[in-house]
Amino acid sequence: MSLQDIPLFAALTERMKWLTSRQKVLSQNIANADTPNYEARDLKPLKFKDMVAHPDNMKVTIASTNKSHMQLERGSESDFVNKKVKKPYEVSPTGNGVVLEEQMMSLAETQIQYQMTTTLYKKHLNMLKTALGRQ
Amino acid sequence: MDLLKALNISSSGMKAQGERMRIISENLANKDSVGRTADDDPYRRKTVSFSNELDRELGARLVSVDKIVEDGSAFGEKFDPNHPAANADGYVKTPNVNALVEVMDMKETQRSYQANLGVIDASKKMIMQTLEILR
Repeated sequence: MSLQDIPLFAALTERMKWLTSRQKVLSQNIANADTPNYEARDLKPLKFKDMVAHPDNMKVTIASTNKSHMQLERGSESDFVNKKVKKPYEVSPTGNGVVLEEQMMSLAETQIQYQMTTTLYKKHLNMLKTALGRQ
Repeated sequence: MDLLKALNISSSGMKAQGERMRIISENLANKDSVGRTADDDPYRRKTVSFSNELDRELGARLVSVDKIVEDGSAFGEKFDPNHPAANADGYVKTPNVNALVEVMDMKETQRSYQANLGVIDASKKMIMQTLEILR
């Protein structure tokens, strides 16, 4: 039995993956805060429903309808939907749509959620350890 | 891992801002650099522009300094007939550097650098929290 077989751990891992992906996108936005014509990006929010109902179906893969089809290796690309922010609060005269304050807020939010997820993970791990009789 | 990528992206942002700071200090240092003779042009202010480029290995958009161009605005003039670079009317051409503009630019660079540093801090904390699970 691996920890991933326990739905709660699978869900928490998925959540952590999403949060790290978001951190990457946010750091990209902040690094490009002075780049002309750069538009801010963000991840599509992770729905609790999708996460619990089909944790395995979160990834979108190309269907292979023929035996000779090769499964495309997605490599380093993120599994989550990354899209441009449609209506930015403000666009600078150079066409930059990154609002630093907004990004910092999202960053703090991501950090808090990550802390929550890792703490929950630890708590449940401790619970398993208690069941194993190791205090 | 996305968090390590976030660190890379932020460091590219910091590098770009560092280069911008270098140009600003060059401008400020040469604020009073006039030519030797009346035909010589004084120091011409430089400006930096950024661009974002897709790093295929990281799968993210890094920032880089696009090009460093010279500011084509008109030079200032100062009345100083005894100066070796004075023209027939006694005017010396002075660089088109406005110290106030440079200082404001410097502040902006500082804030952007700080924002990138904040992201690195946040990412680092998240990595540490992940490692904490192992304890």
